Amino acid sequence: MKLKLLPQVAATVIFSVAATWAQAQTVVLYSSNNTETIEAAVNVAKKKAPALNVQQVTGGTGTLMKRIQAESKNPRGDILWSGGFGTLGAYKEYMEPYKSPDLAAIPEEFRGPDNLWVGTNVHLMVLMVNEKQLKGQPAPKTWSDLMKPEWKGKFAITDPSKSGTAYMLVYGLLKQFGREGLEKIAANAVVTASSGATYKGTAMGEYPVGLTLEYAAQEYVAGGQKEIKLVYPSEGSYLAPEGMFIVKDAKNAEAARTFYNILLSKEMQQELLVKAFRRPTRTDILVSKLTSLPDMKSIKVFPLDQAAAAEEYEQLISLWTLAVAKAR
Amino acid sequence: MGILKSNWWPWRVLTVISLVILGFFVLYPLGVLFNNSVRDESGALSLAGFAQLIDNSLFLEALRNTLVLGVSVTALSAAIGVPLAYMVARYEFPLKNLVAILPVVTIVIPEVIVAQSWLLILGNNGLLTNFMEGIGVELPSFYGWNGLVFSMTLVYYTYIYLGVLAALRGFDGQLEEAGLSLGTSPLVTKWRVLVPLMLPAVAVNALVVFSLVVGNFVLATLLGSRVPLLSVMTYNEFVNEMGGSPLLQSAMSVVSISIVGIVLFLQKRVVERKLYTMTPGRAPPAARVRSGAAAVFTGCVGFIIFLSILPLIVVFVAAFTETSGPVMRWGVWSCANLLRIINGASEPVVNSLTFASLATLAGVVFAVLASYLIIKKRNGLTQTLDYVVVMPLTISGTVMGIALVQTFNTGWLVLAGTSAIMVLCYAVRRLPFAVRNASSTLFNIPDSIEEASISLGVSPLLSFFKVVLPVMKASIVSAAILMWVTTIAELAATIVVYTGGLETMPIAIFRQIDGGRLGLASAYGAVMITVILAPIVVSIKLFRINLFSNR
Repeated sequence: MKLKLLPQVAATVIFSVAATWAQAQTVVLYSSNNTETIEAAVNVAKKKAPALNVQQVTGGTGTLMKRIQAESKNPRGDILWSGGFGTLGAYKEYMEPYKSPDLAAIPEEFRGPDNLWVGTNVHLMVLMVNEKQLKGQPAPKTWSDLMKPEWKGKFAITDPSKSGTAYMLVYGLLKQFGREGLEKIAANAVVTASSGATYKGTAMGEYPVGLTLEYAAQEYVAGGQKEIKLVYPSEGSYLAPEGMFIVKDAKNAEAARTFYNILLSKEMQQELLVKAFRRPTRTDILVSKLTSLPDMKSIKVFPLDQAAAAEEYEQLISLWTLAVAKAR
Repeated sequence: MGILKSNWWPWRVLTVISLVILGFFVLYPLGVLFNNSVRDESGALSLAGFAQLIDNSLFLEALRNTLVLGVSVTALSAAIGVPLAYMVARYEFPLKNLVAILPVVTIVIPEVIVAQSWLLILGNNGLLTNFMEGIGVELPSFYGWNGLVFSMTLVYYTYIYLGVLAALRGFDGQLEEAGLSLGTSPLVTKWRVLVPLMLPAVAVNALVVFSLVVGNFVLATLLGSRVPLLSVMTYNEFVNEMGGSPLLQSAMSVVSISIVGIVLFLQKRVVERKLYTMTPGRAPPAARVRSGAAAVFTGCVGFIIFLSILPLIVVFVAAFTETSGPVMRWGVWSCANLLRIINGASEPVVNSLTFASLATLAGVVFAVLASYLIIKKRNGLTQTLDYVVVMPLTISGTVMGIALVQTFNTGWLVLAGTSAIMVLCYAVRRLPFAVRNASSTLFNIPDSIEEASISLGVSPLLSFFKVVLPVMKASIVSAAILMWVTTIAELAATIVVYTGGLETMPIAIFRQIDGGRLGLASAYGAVMITVILAPIVVSIKLFRINLFSNR
């Protein structure tokens, strides 16, 4: 009796396995985000699309872009999340345009040209202050405070040629304060080789102040390191939006679109805001309600043209190099 | 006789093949590097690159810093290594046997982990730093010179210690007795007899330490953010010039090769002039020291061992410590970071294991063949093979990586951006270790056993497999393990040749440290140490192989 059932059971098992196999969609994610952020995103995706299997390949944005370029004839990645708009603009030919239904919730300024990419989150450049290391000196309120001689050697800035966000910061300083202002900053600053070195160094007390990303500084505040404070410069902060795109001729284009829509969804952006302090690009999320961070409305922003910033790359880097050399 | 020796033609063919392979993967890339350093944008011969370097004050500062660092770390390593070796060789004191674990510890603990754990202890937010601050003592910043000199000395003193220890053990005690019986005072005897005989051992190993310091990238970049150094500057230039003209990176690489080259030359001159030949005699027996002095000896040695092994402890504690983003919650235990690696971020672990295994396989096969040819089938060509095979030892990881990327980036063989370049890079970099290990037993295998086999009618090739290989088994296993272990921990060259998706464990650790995630970095560190220690423990317990006896 039991034995007779066996073929039937086997058939059912094989059938159901085959069915899940057919349903399971694999998407290869190229990501420059940190482990916890990817983990949070994958967990949301698991809830929204249980059949989606996200395979991740990690690396810096620059190295992943080079890889996409190298693989362009036989793409192995399906989606890249995320890179600064300036970097993305340089690799347009490797992107597949896609118009997500969620696009309506994203303001025009955070969308790429021809639907090639879309902003998933916005970085704000802030002053990260380590109060313990100030040793009585009042904290700086804005960028131009740091141009004063008493700040010499007391704040860190990331080399703009090493980081896309640091590039937007230096670009903003140049646009707002001109060459003279930039030279004053360069004369006083300690230049670090990566974004990480700046916020980590500030948190560890190597520098009293770091010019860095809002989310990175907020992680230390949220982690309970009491001496860390965020200062939104009164002269206006600079924005550095980050976006994602679908790789041209992606093998799993269908799954990539599913994941793209999930990454753009309200649920995802809320989760990433709460878990990783990534400020959403969607307009329907109230930041101050979910975190201790202020809403975009209450922050003064100095406007920058992201596309123009990318075009002036060589020029700005050489200006900065000269300014640093002059200070030595 | 002709069949037995190197004249048998297959050995010659194999020698030539080995030389061609090495030439293609070692000499040719170096040639490309040198060539690139003297070409301008249009490809014409020019010294513009070097001229630009000389005009660059930052480069000159980095060059000076590198030399100063090299000399001070070498001097300090000798200051610790020589007395330690003397104590261990000549005296008997409690817990002396613990010293045996020193080489294992310093060779096995990857530099990334050393840097990371000392930051956890002595960094600006470190455990000891915060504790001292609590009782009102402000420790000097660990970043910069303090941290660089401190951590590098702790990593490299064992090289001098091991070298001098070996020399002291081979030293003929009768020489000293002769001095004494001729009426010289004990101190003068030591100065006149012991010191000159120890000097070559110190000089040779000091050179090794110096070249390791000059080429060091890992500690230099993690601890020396305010001290410009040649290796870090070369790497930064490589990143800047990606896709552009490789002029400055090549010129800087040539400078660092030249530094090591010049020092090697000077050292050879000095050592050769001072070389005494000595028949190896019986070393004087270790003297038991009195209880007071014994306490001091045990204390000193214990302290050094403690400092060397501390990173290991710190990494495991940190791996199981709860974190909130970048902030460590000391005293609260959690497996979250380890689970995170197992569940979602195991790619670097798999990559490391794959690349290391492939590189080890390739490296060991080549090393066995090369060392057999070099030692047992000597001819003019094998002499060259001998030189080329150890060459990678004098080239820093960063420079080796740059040379390989420049060479295999374009042309008919494009390896850059593939796993093949990772494997190649590891195999080439660690080849000298493997060859040294394989050679050490070959020296001790008498030719007669092989000759006997051949004269009994077994073909030379079969004799090699049936007679020579089995005798070499122990050294092959130890060569493989050493190669595997050091390959898994490799970072300096990896960071140059890897691309997205090819991340290894050291790269993951490096990226996590850079992103401020010391907890997650430690979890990777704990996995890496486990993966490294497992085969060592197995080989010692199972095969009863003394891994570090023939270094």
